[in-house]
Amino acid sequence: MKRHFTTTHQDHRVALLAALAITIHIIEAAFPSPLPGVKPGLANVVTLFTFMMYGWKTALQVSLLRVIISSLLLGTFLSPTFLLSLSGALLSLGSLIITQSLFYFLPQRTYLQPSAIGYAIVASISHMGGQFLMAWYFFIPHPGIFKLLPILITFAVILGIVSGIITQLTLSQLTKAPITKTRSTKR
Amino acid sequence: MTKTITRKLLLFEPADILILISACFLTVWLYSTFWFDLSSVGEAETLLVQFADHSPKAYSLSEDQIINVKGRLGPALIEIKQRKARFIHSSCRNQFCVFHGWLSVAGDTTACLPNRVSISLKGTTNDYDAIAGAQ
Repeated sequence: MKRHFTTTHQDHRVALLAALAITIHIIEAAFPSPLPGVKPGLANVVTLFTFMMYGWKTALQVSLLRVIISSLLLGTFLSPTFLLSLSGALLSLGSLIITQSLFYFLPQRTYLQPSAIGYAIVASISHMGGQFLMAWYFFIPHPGIFKLLPILITFAVILGIVSGIITQLTLSQLTKAPITKTRSTKR
Repeated sequence: MTKTITRKLLLFEPADILILISACFLTVWLYSTFWFDLSSVGEAETLLVQFADHSPKAYSLSEDQIINVKGRLGPALIEIKQRKARFIHSSCRNQFCVFHGWLSVAGDTTACLPNRVSISLKGTTNDYDAIAGAQ
């Protein structure tokens, strides 16, 4: 008995993007970080890009695949690192969805909608916040750890802007449209 | 090419700037909440000893004593002497808390994360008078 599995275009897209995210995640894991907990989070560029191009469902698939498979490859599956990574990824995606639905009620003009930079800042802060709350709740339940939170959030904002710019450049290159869509045509 | 890229990089949408400003407000609020706590200003009066997320116990600095605290890994001994405080023994592996030495100024904190015991010095409640008196 032979079974046929048909794959759709969507499956290929998810697989491609997840493979890209996993590669970036693993390369990034090889570099030492200057401060514990601070990483550039370049793998989140892929998640954000997917979110902005194909919507939250694809982004959720890509992000979950990225977290699970890269943890299997790095040997941290079901370890504290994995839990931190998973909670960060889920919370940042959740906050992206919330931000999008908040701005949904505004008119769909380009200047009223946040670009990838705004979304990246939100995602970065919530990623850091999710990991931090997870670490505080499960691993170091001590109020002293909150002294570290302002520094971490500062780094999250800066790195969020950087990854947002990268995402925005990628988006504009791939869609072959200038970023200033409405405004540049008006002028 | 470089010209277009710099033009693109500088282009934040107004909604982005809104998000960025609120992020900055959040950061400033976090700094003011967790770093510039007013009770850590002024002359050190009391020692707060805390285990995990239990509510901290306060000890007066005017009385020399040795406090025995039960941590997660084992006992920790904290000494108060001449209005200063330090860890003299801890059951943790790295002993960072013991090597940190004396705490003498309000706001000083030593935390032993493996053992989940932290000590910090708190100032007088009348902070502004303490600052005015110092000047």
